[in-house]
Amino acid sequence: MKIFKYILFSTLAVSLFSTCDDEKIDPEAGNGSFVVEFDNYVGSTDMQLDPAGSTDFRYATASGQQFNVSTFRYYISNIKLEGPDGAMFEDEMNVSANADEVAGYYLVQESEASSQYITLDNIPEGNYDKVTFTLGIAEEGVQQGAAGGILDPAEGAWFWNWNAGYISLGMEGTAADSPQQKVEGDGFIIEPKTFSLHVGGWKDVDPDDNFVNNIKTVTLDLGSAVTVSDKLKPEAHIVFDMLKILDGASVDFSQTYAVHAPRLGAPLAEEIPNAFIVDHVHQ
Amino acid sequence: MWAGKSVWLACLFFLFSCQSDDLEGIADKSYVFVKPPNFPEPTYTFDNNPITEKGFKLGRKLFFDPLLSRDGSVSCNSCHIQATAFADGQQHPMSIGVDNQQGIRNAPSLTNLAFMREFFWDGGVTHLDFVPTNALENELEMDESLGNIVDKLNQHTEYPALFKEAFSIDTITSPYMLHAFSQFLVMMVSANSKYDKYMRNEGEELTNEELEGLRLFEEKCTACHDGTLFSDFSYRNNGLSATFSDEGRARITEHPADQGKFRVPSLRNVARTAPYMHSARFQTLEQALQHYAIGVVDSPTLDPLLKNERQRGIPMTEEEQSKIISFLRTLNDYEFVADQRFMNTSNP
Repeated sequence: MKIFKYILFSTLAVSLFSTCDDEKIDPEAGNGSFVVEFDNYVGSTDMQLDPAGSTDFRYATASGQQFNVSTFRYYISNIKLEGPDGAMFEDEMNVSANADEVAGYYLVQESEASSQYITLDNIPEGNYDKVTFTLGIAEEGVQQGAAGGILDPAEGAWFWNWNAGYISLGMEGTAADSPQQKVEGDGFIIEPKTFSLHVGGWKDVDPDDNFVNNIKTVTLDLGSAVTVSDKLKPEAHIVFDMLKILDGASVDFSQTYAVHAPRLGAPLAEEIPNAFIVDHVHQ
Repeated sequence: MWAGKSVWLACLFFLFSCQSDDLEGIADKSYVFVKPPNFPEPTYTFDNNPITEKGFKLGRKLFFDPLLSRDGSVSCNSCHIQATAFADGQQHPMSIGVDNQQGIRNAPSLTNLAFMREFFWDGGVTHLDFVPTNALENELEMDESLGNIVDKLNQHTEYPALFKEAFSIDTITSPYMLHAFSQFLVMMVSANSKYDKYMRNEGEELTNEELEGLRLFEEKCTACHDGTLFSDFSYRNNGLSATFSDEGRARITEHPADQGKFRVPSLRNVARTAPYMHSARFQTLEQALQHYAIGVVDSPTLDPLLKNERQRGIPMTEEEQSKIISFLRTLNDYEFVADQRFMNTSNP
């Protein structure tokens, strides 16, 4: 009888425990790792940053407009790997006020080399030939409320207050044709001829609403299958070409030099899936 | 037997630690979120930010603290006052921010935010945690960056210890500050008006005039001011003007069909929240009702419900308007505006 009670109560305890515990242990989680490297390019050259307002123009659009880049940053989330034989991996996603508990969201910044390497762990052993990811922070990320770490605006997250959501992709620099005048505000200066293209907007909660959703999901073939095991940690080298966005959207810096709302950013967002290329994979 | 008992205790612990809606056994319910029986389910993400007494009181201290503004001159309470159900006072129709600057819209009441899906007159914010950021950082309001606020709080003599007690953190970060705000704000449930007590059969009766007003309200107003919160939370152009210096909902959707549309506001405590409309156009309920009866101006996005075939607006005699106003006064929640929990205290 005592033993019966014990079993009953411990079963109850376990079931109560499991209903409150958010972190589920996936029985299929493996112990392999995979590295995704995001390497930013402008056309055929590796991106180099210049100070805002610099008139040293390294790059040119297809229409010949000269420009350089001072800031290039974007959020990657919801990374998935798939293989030809059914192997599957989905990165764990979590939003929390505790920065250490934020998972599955990555801020890639050209100014910070370490941010360009995303290491995925707990991957089941197997062959993988496809990677899928989201550029931006979709509804699930915003609607969990205030978050820490790379999602904390006080620590460098780019967030729109008035139309609440994260800026998916920020591209800033200087362009010979930009009509931007110098602006000196409280604690900030906008240099002349700069451009500031911020792509954001995640809302399409109700189909009757007129929102612009600029969250884009990208799926890339790795070209050949790579093997994940406890000894093999493959790496996919992915190139993000800013010029494909500018040229794909036919950006004319004399017109398009300040984008700070979803609708104006939509043509740029449309080009995001075309701007990522798998350069190569290392086994 | 000992083992059995300890497991039983463990069961009890888990039961109470995850079921915040199970109120039995909690002596003081002052800091427990309770959904009134006649209210919809709350929208707030309590799983990420459970209410505690310490968190609530920390949120309250932040709400009343002008330290959070750029020059220490303005607190949230400057424009959201308990006596007016946490709307602004009539003397500040557009609210006054740092450097005596005027805002652009009338500050809405903060009651019942726990039940709303979108916030502000244009609905641009979709989670309560992100609501305070707008007032804190807006240059016409408190004009301070989240980063500076967090620095000021970390250097303060009291806040680091209060955050540690509320959230077990050693360094204050912005999401915990916003969580403290949300804990204070979601508790601002206003559900004890005369109307509520009448609806819940709690011994309160409406007068004949108020009942007649309720009947007229249901006939003429609930197409928009629907449900327990007296709003369907849609965005509508109610005919205040033909041109729009404030785009309203179109500022968020960037769509011409939404020009001049604003959120249908809740009418709870409406007799205390004058002036009315996003632009604070009307000083009294009489003026607001009269607008719907005879003042509606046509424009391409005017709400179809106000485009009557013969006459724009909502046909209402002055007597009918007066009865509706009598009913609206029954939505005043005197317990809420006198609730000690929401009052400033220097002793958190």
